[in-house]
Amino acid sequence: MVSGRASIVRAAWLLAVVVGGVVAHAAEPLRVGMELSYPPFEMTNPQGRPAGVSVKLAEALGGHLGRPVVIENIAFDGLIPALKAGHIDCVISSMTATPERAKSIAFSEPYLKTGLALLIAKRSPVQSAADLDSPGRVVAVKQGTTGQQWAAASLKQARVLVLDTESAAVLEVIQGRADAFVYDSMSVYTNHKKQPGKTRAALAPFREESWAVGLRQGNDELRRDVNEFLETFRADGGFEKLGDEFLAEQKAYFKDHAIPFYF
Amino acid sequence: MPRWLAHLIVLALLAAACGWAFASLDMTWNWGVVWEYRQAFWKGWWTTLGLALAALLASSLIGLAAAVMLRSRFALVEAVARVYVELIRGTPLLVQLLVGWYVVAAALHVGTGYRTAVGVLVLAMFSGAYMAEIFRGGLDAIPKAQVDSARAIGLTRWQAFRLVIFPQAVRIVLPAVAGQLVSLIKDSSLLSVLSIGEFTFAARNVNSATYSTLESYLPLAAGYLALTLPLSALSRWLERRFRYEAA
Repeated sequence: MVSGRASIVRAAWLLAVVVGGVVAHAAEPLRVGMELSYPPFEMTNPQGRPAGVSVKLAEALGGHLGRPVVIENIAFDGLIPALKAGHIDCVISSMTATPERAKSIAFSEPYLKTGLALLIAKRSPVQSAADLDSPGRVVAVKQGTTGQQWAAASLKQARVLVLDTESAAVLEVIQGRADAFVYDSMSVYTNHKKQPGKTRAALAPFREESWAVGLRQGNDELRRDVNEFLETFRADGGFEKLGDEFLAEQKAYFKDHAIPFYF
Repeated sequence: MPRWLAHLIVLALLAAACGWAFASLDMTWNWGVVWEYRQAFWKGWWTTLGLALAALLASSLIGLAAAVMLRSRFALVEAVARVYVELIRGTPLLVQLLVGWYVVAAALHVGTGYRTAVGVLVLAMFSGAYMAEIFRGGLDAIPKAQVDSARAIGLTRWQAFRLVIFPQAVRIVLPAVAGQLVSLIKDSSLLSVLSIGEFTFAARNVNSATYSTLESYLPLAAGYLALTLPLSALSRWLERRFRYEAA
């Protein structure tokens, strides 16, 4: 009995030493920043854990680098400052690689192509992006998105509503307070499906965009690794699988209507 | 030690601590790009000043009315005020703003041009509930015997309130009211969720355009202090004035 207990204690010690050694030698975790409010790319599951395409992508990237992954949930307009300040190592948050952003951070090769589209209020006279810039039109955008950048640069006469959440912008359109919400075609499609009676969707992108992984400027080593990972992941059919898992319906619809949205 | 010297020493220590904290951050500051957006800050600051003044006035009136209703002899009147105060004080301003705009204003078909007006009204209702309790406390603090005495020398109920109770109550509630007004000015930052172009909204836009968080938000803090410090000074001055008159 005594010797039994002693051996248990010894085993526990051994386990502690081994586990401690493994933890001590484990690779530095990869801190990935994203805003978990953009399903099915970045979202939380019913248990409140991060989930979605970008989370799977981040985990695959961690696997490729041999580093554990920590997801940091940060508001979209705070992602670039957090990256610059070194709180996170990279951004995988459906972020479009734009020249404006490239002044502050570096980007990987693009991994997804999409574009800006319109969610239009049912009774609005607006048909396409060309109709937006006239007096009396109200255009909703989400803070910090390429939609906001586009509106600031292109809309001189329309009133631009800058809202802090996607749902608020959609609500403005549903209630007819805004003529249209400028967002990516993917989200426009999803929101139109939820409110078919109150909205119309102009899905064909009036400005094409591509998403990429955001990285700190000068962090060329990680950028090389990420690009290498994206290439292998694509070659292995990883993106195809993610698309089938999360976006089967959208993929089929977009393909039928010849609207660019693909990994 | 003279009072001003003590203040100066505390401020110097604070500045040193902040300086040390920022220096240890090892940040590359980017003030130039934020300077380009000074017009946006300036416009936002004036908007905040304007809507805070409007909400301040409205919330004082709402608060006073609700305080009088809370003391009403009629149960139904008291109940209306009580439900209003508890409902507003017990729920977040963010929810009130969203419900006010996306539910109540939408149901009443209020157009998109009135979002600032609706925002100010919700803010005034919010602050008014706190004001109501502050005013009620001030009115309750005056002994009932004073009303009886005032009535005994022939004053009407209204005269007793206006000439005896109210002037004393004002002096009692001043510090708490000033604190509430300072809160109101800062709470007005939440109006940015309705896309109302006030000061915080401007800073958030500059942040999302320049990716310079601290450079966008530190001027914001300074701008709010420029609004709240004079208010605190005014309240202290009024307190002294009313004390002199009462003595």
